[in-house]
Amino acid sequence: MSSSTSGRDDDAPDLICQIDCVHGMVDALSSVRWKRHQDAVLELSEHGIVVIVEESGCLQAKVYLKRELFMEYEYAAEGRPRFGLSLGLLVDCLNTFSAPGHSSAVEIRYPGPDMQLLLKSVGSPDSCMYAEIRTRIPDTISWDYHFEHAANTQVTFTVKSAVLKESIEDLEWPGSSIQIQMQPDPPSVIFKGEGHGDLEIEFPYYANTELLIAFQCDQEIAYRYKYKFLRATTSNFPSSIMKENRGSKVSIGNGGMLKIQHLVSVARPGMQYFRNVAGGAQQPSRIAYIEFFVKPEEDENNMNDA
Amino acid sequence: MKFKASFTDDGIALLDKRFLPAMDKVGRVCHVYLTPTHAMLLHNLLGPTGTGPDGGGPQCVAQFAKDLLFREYSVSSRNGNRVAFAVDVALLHRALRSALAVHAQSPAAGDASAAIQVKLVNKLPAGSRSASPFLTFETKGARAAVVQDVPISRPLSRSDVERLQAAIDDAQELPQTLVQVPDLPQLQSLVDRLKNVGDLLTVAVTQYGDLHLHVATSLVTVGSEFRKLRILGVRGIAPGGACLTVIFQYFIPGTRLTDKSISFYCRLPVLDPGTS
Repeated sequence: MSSSTSGRDDDAPDLICQIDCVHGMVDALSSVRWKRHQDAVLELSEHGIVVIVEESGCLQAKVYLKRELFMEYEYAAEGRPRFGLSLGLLVDCLNTFSAPGHSSAVEIRYPGPDMQLLLKSVGSPDSCMYAEIRTRIPDTISWDYHFEHAANTQVTFTVKSAVLKESIEDLEWPGSSIQIQMQPDPPSVIFKGEGHGDLEIEFPYYANTELLIAFQCDQEIAYRYKYKFLRATTSNFPSSIMKENRGSKVSIGNGGMLKIQHLVSVARPGMQYFRNVAGGAQQPSRIAYIEFFVKPEEDENNMNDA
Repeated sequence: MKFKASFTDDGIALLDKRFLPAMDKVGRVCHVYLTPTHAMLLHNLLGPTGTGPDGGGPQCVAQFAKDLLFREYSVSSRNGNRVAFAVDVALLHRALRSALAVHAQSPAAGDASAAIQVKLVNKLPAGSRSASPFLTFETKGARAAVVQDVPISRPLSRSDVERLQAAIDDAQELPQTLVQVPDLPQLQSLVDRLKNVGDLLTVAVTQYGDLHLHVATSLVTVGSEFRKLRILGVRGIAPGGACLTVIFQYFIPGTRLTDKSISFYCRLPVLDPGTS
């Protein structure tokens, strides 16, 4: 441990916050952990924490942890501090805090004397857990995941998360490239994989009201995406998403940018009331928002490029 | 050299469900050591020096009062009626499990007369010219009696038995500082999770009843501290080359009273004795 040298000691840290349900936090972060060693960037603000993960310039994921999810949230920084760390280590460390019997709240503090992220269990007088995770100056994130709806009309559908995951898993064998097609007449979504074999999965809007919860598309649109990136968007779902029968929203924006949004519950199971920073009891909305952005494959055969 | 006994139901269940799986995790081979009063499963006690597990992996001593495991227990030898031999833990466990399966079908299961018998025999294995020692299990099922031979080593010599006995006495000496951790599953789950963070665990036990576990790598430090633990013994600072001793306590079922007829010790070699 190195000692503090700057005059930081007088200042409050950028952030001190407390979570009561480590398990939910692990669920939310694990859903964007598609490989074992993966770097993430954390961005702190007065609204909460955003965790950003990126791969190959083609896939980006964000976890939004709003300040309302925390029992305490004291933010004292100016601007929006950002730092990089290993997502795997953060998840593994949080996991050690969630050992059975260790259900106490966890305090998260940044920065430590050597710019570490500090975790500490609070509330149990005779046992204490702590972790210090080294952070680094973040790589510049390519910010061209800018998502815009095409021509001011939304092209989007909402489907049960479990169905989306299952469909993407089924598309594994045909090949490395998957086409997602949406058409207004008849309103439907078609996933098509061609490679070792062909596989087409269709979600017709009218056939089953349970299947597509929402659908919006006024002209036919189709883009191809790398299978491994599509798979990353659903492969690490926590089981709570299935148990709570959540839906996922899929949108295709300008240039074919694919946005997939999931909701992950971070509430402690069986806990009726939760008093958050705002002092409100609001268990029902203790949700972390997860967003994935996938760029389409560069392909001249795209039917509709602007 | 003779050994013959019948298992008690509790005894065989204890070996099958708890001790053999635990021994199997520590190492492939263990010594079975039988004395007129106790039966023991020992792992790695006859290491390179015969005294400590320095560099030789963990040591385990599981000791049972003879009446806990056996009925009609008889052991005799020219070496103070003590017998010791090495056996493959997985083989022993397999034989026990299938004996239990056959035994479960027996209409008389539960009767003392139908108990699973175990004895030491010398047999001529198929295709061999010289006799080899076996531990033989005899089980009477509903329609069949099953005999299983588990190959064992030649019985240990008088001097090796002496070394074994000395190592046991040494291993059971109370450690310098000993604290009681109340919640074993919690500790186990903690260590399991720390394993994901790094391979090397730093352990500190203080005479004031603190236990401190932590894993540190270049990127992360994770640790846990338990305070105000019950202090069972303080006899100064442990000398260099000491090992970490973990003593598992067993309760008499349904009570919080220590069952003195079972004891289980593990000693782990210390990789770096620390400086303070």
